[in-house]
Amino acid sequence: MKEFMMIFIGADYADLGLSPEELQNRMGKWFAWGNKMEEAGILRGGNALTPDIRRIVGENRTVSDISSAEVKEIVGGYYNVMAKDFDAVQEIAQDFPDYDLGGTVEIREIMVFDQ
Amino acid sequence: MKDKYIDHLFRHHSGKMVSVLTRIFGLSNLDIIEDAVQDTFIKASISWRREQPKHPEAWLTKAAKNRVIDIFRKLKTEQKLLPQIQQGTDFIAINEFFLDTEIEDAQLRMIFTACHPELNPTDRITFALKTVSGFSIKEISSALLTKEGTIKKRLSRARKTIQNSKLKFHIPQGKALPNRLESVMEVLYLIFNEGFHSNNQEELIRQDLCGEAMRLCQLLLKNKNTRTSASYALYALMCFHSARLSTKINTNNELLDLKHQDRTQWHFPLIELGNMMMNKAVEHSEFSCYHYEAAIASEHLRANRFEDTNWDKILLWYQSLYALQPMAIHVLTMAVVCMQQQNYKAAKTYLDQILPNDFAQRAYLYYAALSDYYSNTKQTKKAIIQIDNAINKVSNNLEKEYLLKKKKVLLQILQ
Repeated sequence: MKEFMMIFIGADYADLGLSPEELQNRMGKWFAWGNKMEEAGILRGGNALTPDIRRIVGENRTVSDISSAEVKEIVGGYYNVMAKDFDAVQEIAQDFPDYDLGGTVEIREIMVFDQ
Repeated sequence: MKDKYIDHLFRHHSGKMVSVLTRIFGLSNLDIIEDAVQDTFIKASISWRREQPKHPEAWLTKAAKNRVIDIFRKLKTEQKLLPQIQQGTDFIAINEFFLDTEIEDAQLRMIFTACHPELNPTDRITFALKTVSGFSIKEISSALLTKEGTIKKRLSRARKTIQNSKLKFHIPQGKALPNRLESVMEVLYLIFNEGFHSNNQEELIRQDLCGEAMRLCQLLLKNKNTRTSASYALYALMCFHSARLSTKINTNNELLDLKHQDRTQWHFPLIELGNMMMNKAVEHSEFSCYHYEAAIASEHLRANRFEDTNWDKILLWYQSLYALQPMAIHVLTMAVVCMQQQNYKAAKTYLDQILPNDFAQRAYLYYAALSDYYSNTKQTKKAIIQIDNAINKVSNNLEKEYLLKKKKVLLQILQ
């Protein structure tokens, strides 16, 4: 088994004008998905990220504060899961609830260094 | 563990929070309030992904209280008018606003605001669905089969009217109450009908609208000032109609009339609840149009088979309804009832009293009834001309298909 990270990229919920009803439905889907992974014993962790961004760029360490409205897509959160390979994680990612909002799941393998 | 939350928890709570916060900060701060509430639900939807609180409603109420402080800060930095609340003890008083009875009171105030006669009638429904019921613009647009742009326009017009006319956020009292209450009931009735007679093919949307209208009507019944025999009758009417909501359309998504609905599928508990409400409604001898409409709906439910329908009684109720509310649609319905009784002469007398123009976009109803009259009196050619008129005027696909089917039958008779 290897450890992978699923990174969720997309528009911020606040910028999509979702209704309370839709938010509740989405919350339910996320919850069910999290539970499914938990019950399968593959979930290693994860977090949701707030939409505030502070960026430090370049040699001059130029600092800028960016709001989600200024960028089309931001990283909204991630999950770490244990799986055999990319295909297995791809299968897990089928349940990601926000594809219909134009959301993206990026799968990355956690690098393991020789001891 | 499964997602254990009751349906529409967020939606309903959103209406509650917006209402309570408006009571504290006033209608002039509605924009800020709505944004703050929306933000709460976004946060809840994300933080509840992994672990859901044991008492979600308490969590949401607490979040709403926290919003009070946020909004205070925001108003202060924007140097906007602050409500007359000092520090300390007044904040304790704010807690009182979050008691269940006070939340209901705030919601009623919001309903009365949404249904204020100053507002344009179409704006009332839209504004009520947005503010009291927590629908998004997209949801309202699909529920009312109206473009999102139009909904947005209606909302901003309603907001402007509320600000410009400086509407009070209150439940009217004394002499003003009856008229205002009537306006509220009319809006709830329209929201319900949007669901019940909707052209919407999605049953969920229709159920949502009917359910919302019923929930708001219940709020009227909970308050002793707004609990009247008419509001009981309105609720009874909603129960009776809802009892057969799911049988109006078959599995092929075809519209079924009363004759073809599966009566065994009618929802008995709702009929019983309707009967109970009706008993309350007739405790006083003054009857509203809702009384008669409920009586008619219940008469239909009483018949085990379509053939058993007591048309005499239904006609009588329609006559009383017409006396109270002289509308062309009631005349048309009385003509249809007479046809059920095979009293074609009486039907024609009613039909002669009305014109297609009386029905505006629903003129197809008139033509369809006229076609029925001709087909019943064996004047098939005339019947076909009228059904064609009806088909040309109808906009809803379900109803169009229903009429086309009727035409097919007529054409077969001619052959």
